[in-house]
Amino acid sequence: MSGITLGIISFVILLGMVFIRVPIGLSMFTCGAVGMWVITGSPMPVLNHLKNVTYSTFSSYDFSVVPLFLLMGQFAAFGGISTKLFKVAENWLGHRKGGIAMATIGACAGFGAICGSSMATAATMTQVALPELKRNGYSGALSAGTLAAGGTLGILIPPSIILIIYASLAEQNIAKLFLCAFIPGLLAALGYMLTIRIVVWFRPSEGTVLPRVPYGQRLWNLVRVWDILIVFVAVLGGIYGGFFTPTEASAFGAVGTGLIAWARGGMNGANLREAILYTANVSAMMFFILLGAGLYNSFLALSQLPQEAATMVIELGLGPWVILSIMLVLYFILGGPMDSLSMILLTIPIFYPIIMKLDFGLTPEETALWFGILVLISVEVGLISPPVGMNLFIIQSMARHISTGEIFRGVVPFIVSDATRTAILVAFPSITLYLLRLMY
Amino acid sequence: MGVSSFVEGLARWLAYLGGAVLFVGSILTVVSVIGRAFIFAGLSPIAGDYEIVEALSGFAVFCFLPICQLRRGHVIVDLFTNAMGPRLVRLVDALSEIIMAIVLIVIAWRLTLGFQDKLRYGETSFIRQFPIWWPYFACLLPAYVAALTGVYTSALAIGSVATGRDLLPEHQGVE
Repeated sequence: MSGITLGIISFVILLGMVFIRVPIGLSMFTCGAVGMWVITGSPMPVLNHLKNVTYSTFSSYDFSVVPLFLLMGQFAAFGGISTKLFKVAENWLGHRKGGIAMATIGACAGFGAICGSSMATAATMTQVALPELKRNGYSGALSAGTLAAGGTLGILIPPSIILIIYASLAEQNIAKLFLCAFIPGLLAALGYMLTIRIVVWFRPSEGTVLPRVPYGQRLWNLVRVWDILIVFVAVLGGIYGGFFTPTEASAFGAVGTGLIAWARGGMNGANLREAILYTANVSAMMFFILLGAGLYNSFLALSQLPQEAATMVIELGLGPWVILSIMLVLYFILGGPMDSLSMILLTIPIFYPIIMKLDFGLTPEETALWFGILVLISVEVGLISPPVGMNLFIIQSMARHISTGEIFRGVVPFIVSDATRTAILVAFPSITLYLLRLMY
Repeated sequence: MGVSSFVEGLARWLAYLGGAVLFVGSILTVVSVIGRAFIFAGLSPIAGDYEIVEALSGFAVFCFLPICQLRRGHVIVDLFTNAMGPRLVRLVDALSEIIMAIVLIVIAWRLTLGFQDKLRYGETSFIRQFPIWWPYFACLLPAYVAALTGVYTSALAIGSVATGRDLLPEHQGVE
């Protein structure tokens, strides 16, 4: 049997395992290990590989940001940072029509800038903003849609765990990738606010408008959260300025938010234990997926499937834009049931070589960075797509009074906004690459 | 009851230990970065801080494995769960748990051999020159506990199939 056939068979088995609810990391680990055994004709290569690969994956310097960003997000939630962010955003936006929903988006964007996970952002901000939205007469549909979409800003706005993984798969510079994600992330936040404005325009009964807060008061309230602002500037400025590696930034963020949480009195023993257990649970899950995907991708490389698939797709003679669009639609569909980390780990080794052989009129590095951002966005749309988007589950589990139908209905306008933004970013790569070209 | 509280306690305390080690690693990084920023004032970064952070976070992740296994934190796709029905779900879950236990045992076994290799060849880290077998040795205990947890959850999953009652917690399926 040829390597290619083996590769394809393993892929089918892998998908089968995943869909009968075998844990994704375990499915990849098993298929990878068995595949390597079959293709090399002996269990020894994979067993020898396993002497070091577990430790080297777990101790990778690039991946050490994963637990640290998770810890930072937990500290930020317990330290009341999410509440403070929401209050500040409400000050600036609350007097507009749909202003409290817009403030929720603003706070999500702020939280996203110190948190690399969209589920954590959705969960934290739901806790803070949902009672406020409800009290001010926002419908369940708009509230849920806002929170689900806002949650994705956690990962769209750097730092983002998914981008770090992409950077390591595609061997790209993480700082440059974060730089490219900045404008698209900002556009996402603005797009969501515009969406809210349009929804409210069609349904003027939606939500009350808060009295306008004078500028002096707004600025004063901003000054009062100076400690949070310092962590912000340190984490983001450090990464963008090239002064920090992402690991250093995440360490700074974890220590900084930990100190804030402690100083503001949100950190008691029980909270600390809960934060650590959460971080432990999610980190172990992610690292196990990284380990399984590493093994599976080593097997795929042995099977020659990625290279052959790339050649085959190129020989089809489809235009580069058609191929790119097919890939993005595929991400869009798969992004619902699959979790984004596993999906990226599975597809990038196959898609990336294809993309790099196509001509988009960009330099190879620009193509790689731009593609990374597009993948990130399409994967994130999957997180809020009914019926299986993860963010929707999070909100449903936290807001029992909103029906599933309402949540699904509420999120549709935001998906339209996402689709529009994706189309714009595909058509004009220079938007994504603007800051990069400016700074390098 | 004795076994379950023992395993749960062990997994919990390992997670706390891992969290503490992770925090030490991040404080070390912060100190090193501050040192680098104030070189003009006579401070200096910690030499080989990367290597230390790598070793610490590698150990921490090993410490996190048991709690994730115990609480079923590994992400699954439950798109077809309803269609499968409770009996088939319990059966597939039991098979997954058993494969997981085998994988965790293999990981612990190979890590032990990897540790012996590093000890034998005396490999050291690049800058600080600490023996690589140190972190490998430290990771052995959490790796064994993870394997033990895997065996324990498999036993529970087999029990669930036999009794028709769910003895394991619900999957958490987090991102």
